[in-house]
Amino acid sequence: MDHPMSQIDPDQLKVILATDCGSTTTKAILIQYVDGEYRQTHRGEAPTTVEKPFANVTAGVLNSVSEIGELAGRRLVDDDGHIISPATETEGCDIYISTSSAGGGLQMMVAGVIAEMTAASAKRAALGAGSIVMDVIAANDGRRPHDQIQRIRDLRPDMILISGGTDGGTTDKVVQIAELIAPAKPQPRFGSSYEMPIIYAGNKEARDAVSNVFNEDGFDLQIVDNLRPVLERENLGPARDKIHDIFLEHVMAQAPGYEQLMEWTGAPIMPTPGAVGDILQTVARLQGINVVGVDIGGATTDVFSVFDDTFNRTVSANLGMSYSISNVCAEATMANVLRWVPFDMDERELRNHVKNKMIRPTTIPQTREALMFEQAVAREALRLAYKQHKEFATTLKGVQQQRTVGDTFSQETGGMTIVDNMKLDLLVASGGVLSHAPRMHQTAMLLIDAFEPEGITMLAKDSIFMMPHLGVLASVHPQAAEQVFERDCLVYLGTCVCAKGTPKPGKTCFKYQLSGDCTESGEIAGGELKLINMGMDDHATISVTPARGIDLGNGPGKKVEGKVRGGSVGLILDGRGRPLSLPEERAACQKTVQGWLDSLDVYQEDNEDKSTEPAGA
Amino acid sequence: MGMTGMMKAVLVLFAMAVLSLSQAFAVDITLSPPSNVETEDAPNDVGTQVWVRWDASLDDVELDQSSGRSLLGYAIYRKIDETGSGLESTAEMATNASELSFSANFDFQGVQPIGSVSYGRTQFLDENVENGMTYLYAVAATGPGDTFSPLAVADLPVTASMEYFNRGKLWFLLIMLAISGVIIGFVLYAKRGGIIKVRPIAGLEAVSEAVGRATEMGKPVLFVPGILDINDIQTVAGITVLANVAKTAAQYDAQLRVPTARSLVMTTARETVESAYLGEGRPDAYNEDNIYYLTDDQFGYTAGVQGVMVREEPAACFYMGAFYAESLILAETANSIGAIQIAGTAMPSQLPFFVAACDYTLIGEEFFAASAYLSNDPEQLGSLKGQDIGKIIAAGLLVVGCVLATIAVTNGSRGARIAELYIKDNILGADGLVPNANKVAEIDAAMESQSQQPLGKGGDS
Repeated sequence: MDHPMSQIDPDQLKVILATDCGSTTTKAILIQYVDGEYRQTHRGEAPTTVEKPFANVTAGVLNSVSEIGELAGRRLVDDDGHIISPATETEGCDIYISTSSAGGGLQMMVAGVIAEMTAASAKRAALGAGSIVMDVIAANDGRRPHDQIQRIRDLRPDMILISGGTDGGTTDKVVQIAELIAPAKPQPRFGSSYEMPIIYAGNKEARDAVSNVFNEDGFDLQIVDNLRPVLERENLGPARDKIHDIFLEHVMAQAPGYEQLMEWTGAPIMPTPGAVGDILQTVARLQGINVVGVDIGGATTDVFSVFDDTFNRTVSANLGMSYSISNVCAEATMANVLRWVPFDMDERELRNHVKNKMIRPTTIPQTREALMFEQAVAREALRLAYKQHKEFATTLKGVQQQRTVGDTFSQETGGMTIVDNMKLDLLVASGGVLSHAPRMHQTAMLLIDAFEPEGITMLAKDSIFMMPHLGVLASVHPQAAEQVFERDCLVYLGTCVCAKGTPKPGKTCFKYQLSGDCTESGEIAGGELKLINMGMDDHATISVTPARGIDLGNGPGKKVEGKVRGGSVGLILDGRGRPLSLPEERAACQKTVQGWLDSLDVYQEDNEDKSTEPAGA
Repeated sequence: MGMTGMMKAVLVLFAMAVLSLSQAFAVDITLSPPSNVETEDAPNDVGTQVWVRWDASLDDVELDQSSGRSLLGYAIYRKIDETGSGLESTAEMATNASELSFSANFDFQGVQPIGSVSYGRTQFLDENVENGMTYLYAVAATGPGDTFSPLAVADLPVTASMEYFNRGKLWFLLIMLAISGVIIGFVLYAKRGGIIKVRPIAGLEAVSEAVGRATEMGKPVLFVPGILDINDIQTVAGITVLANVAKTAAQYDAQLRVPTARSLVMTTARETVESAYLGEGRPDAYNEDNIYYLTDDQFGYTAGVQGVMVREEPAACFYMGAFYAESLILAETANSIGAIQIAGTAMPSQLPFFVAACDYTLIGEEFFAASAYLSNDPEQLGSLKGQDIGKIIAAGLLVVGCVLATIAVTNGSRGARIAELYIKDNILGADGLVPNANKVAEIDAAMESQSQQPLGKGGDS
């Protein structure tokens, strides 16, 4: 579908309307050019109306947009129920853009020859495009062909991505995979007349053979460039673009009301996670930083990372805070969850609490103890999701290594993780348990405990989950997206300075000196956490001298200087060491955790933080 | 003077001439003999050594510089019990001593001594005796010309005997028992489900990566098991790795080629690969023609493998076994065709070439640990861990020994010297559990003589 994107002059965009059609809620925001910069000015939301009785996504969109119109005093919807565009002084918007994850978002199955090579690249392409990967079929996945065929038959993906073989590489294995899929005749989720889209992004010499296999009714084969033309390089762009196209042309077109919605939008509708990935990539590129973003939901946890311009996204399908909470407790073990709780809890009662949360996902903790337990589960869910992300976000496998004699005792294999917490500059949190924590300090503590950042890292949260809107805006006007991201989307929690290594308890871990808006100096002992008050607009230079064996970014024992900024929490100095370890013995563990919570004033009882409301709310 | 007188005079002259001539060839037994000759069967041996000790001769002294020495050394003689049965007990020896004896008119010129030592020495180790035979020893002092002392004969004969336990190497036994105990302990620990961590070996971790690369590129995997025969331990280790490579190739349905330089290696490799394919449920994919013999000749084989590389352009090459000059030739050729290369050998001279030209290299012990690493078998892992403990003990002794030796030289303290002596001669040597009193006495004497040196000796006074 052609969109008039090429005709858009970014400089003419002064009023931008964006919506994100989620499974349950449609969220709309209004971005306006105010005093020489783009700001998010108003937001509104309404229930999503994809399901019956409405069965038309535009109804929810119009409801949310109307709410904004009322708040802004600006008429955005005309009497015929259309979004007014272009904008005038008092009504309409210059562009309307949208993302969508309604109806389960984009669900794909991918296939490749070797699970760790072309199949992994295909999975990266699919995840990067914002889809949920239902399964990965590979020649070495350990399943017999009949099991693979049965699995393909059982799944109902929106589309299938096939890769395999380098250009000029194996043809037989690629055709074998195609011959598994074709007779299985997988059925799409939507529409009985809908032909299953197959994207082939493998060995170019196998294109004819693959075409012959799918040369029958029921398949819509699309061929794009090989996503692994040589094993040394990935070329995910063409496959990702094709996934977006098919998402719009096939998947969205089948969902109720989307055809009309696509006519309204000035840029292609993007899958919500894909848009989040895009805005993080845009920010990382424009600011030259490494970013990790996390969105923890009820059923799944998405982790995004951009390290040295390489983007990765993972969806941990069984790690979430409501539908998947039981799985988190099972996978992490209750003992690991409870290590974050500084008092004794009855395990039977906890199990009941977990099951209740699973069958009543919208309930929220009513007591301080319940909140602490839920946040303990969140720590483990985030920790496990990040671990999975690290295992997936790796250098390419199957690549030739260049060696010298100096490498004799330090030979590293391919497929090492590219996620390096020491290089991480910005950690962004979103999702109910993080965004709606009663105190920002809790969000900060959750992030530090779960992700274990090292060195100097900025912490922020996307309080109203605006990143999807900005992701699609980035495809139209990257500067505007970055400005809004920086000023309105992110609520800065502060900066954490975390020591890597094993500091001796009670002995000096590092010395620090602050200059700028905040001047202070002192030292942090091993196992100590300290909070220094730095306001939202405070900036300072920190000089840190670590003890021997402790690393803060320049190597063990080497002095580090860096910029820090304050936030709603402040500057957090962490001398607990990395990897973070808690005492095995329960009483000692409780005492240690209580000490950490007290240091950051995480669960202050009488002074609830009211500053969690986002700007422009 | 008459005719008779003349005859007498001639006879006297003849007798004097004969006497003086005989005196010219006779030995001069004028030296003082050594005393207290004692013999002892050397302890902790297999019955082939006897110690002979004596007190020095009174003439074993240095005269003034112009005269030199009248005693130059000692000659050792022995008599052997001709019956060959040996004499069992001391009493028996005393009884039979008369049967083993030296003649009072010992023929110094006719009998060769079994050994000799120079002046000042008072012991001799006869290393040329037979287990179970009885010997009687005698010692005579020797001087310039044919000067001898009378023979000093040992009081008792001695019977060479073998000891079943070498008590001098008790430390060796203790260390061996300790390491064996540790190995058995780790094996039992692993069998009971204990976790034995083996550090990741990049070369073995990369096997699946290399085979995967070959599969994606639609090219074969080449495995070279070295150029030595199956009786070489490196070839055996290489075949162990081949089993793993074959298993991965069967899983990935990759083509595996194994050219060999020995027919027995070919047969073993075929058995190994076939069983790996069977284990993975892919007997149909096994083709024995892919495992073949080229030639025994080193460079003929190298040329053959190079030919395979250039023609078939394998995407992954494994070199696991014993290699010589062909190592770099093979690795460079495979590098030129863009293959991932994994090498493993215990040939120190070839390792630098493999490290520089290959993607991954298993070095010595890593190569031999491959079997335990790949199989994850508790017995093998336990054994590997136990051996590591043995190596740590050896390395620890080396470090402690070096430190003590350094202290002993620089500081000169008695404790350090004795500790060094203990490590060197008791733990690593053959002096048993208790320090040798003589050696300790030597250290004490040396220290005493050092302490008596005048201050400033060796200076620039």
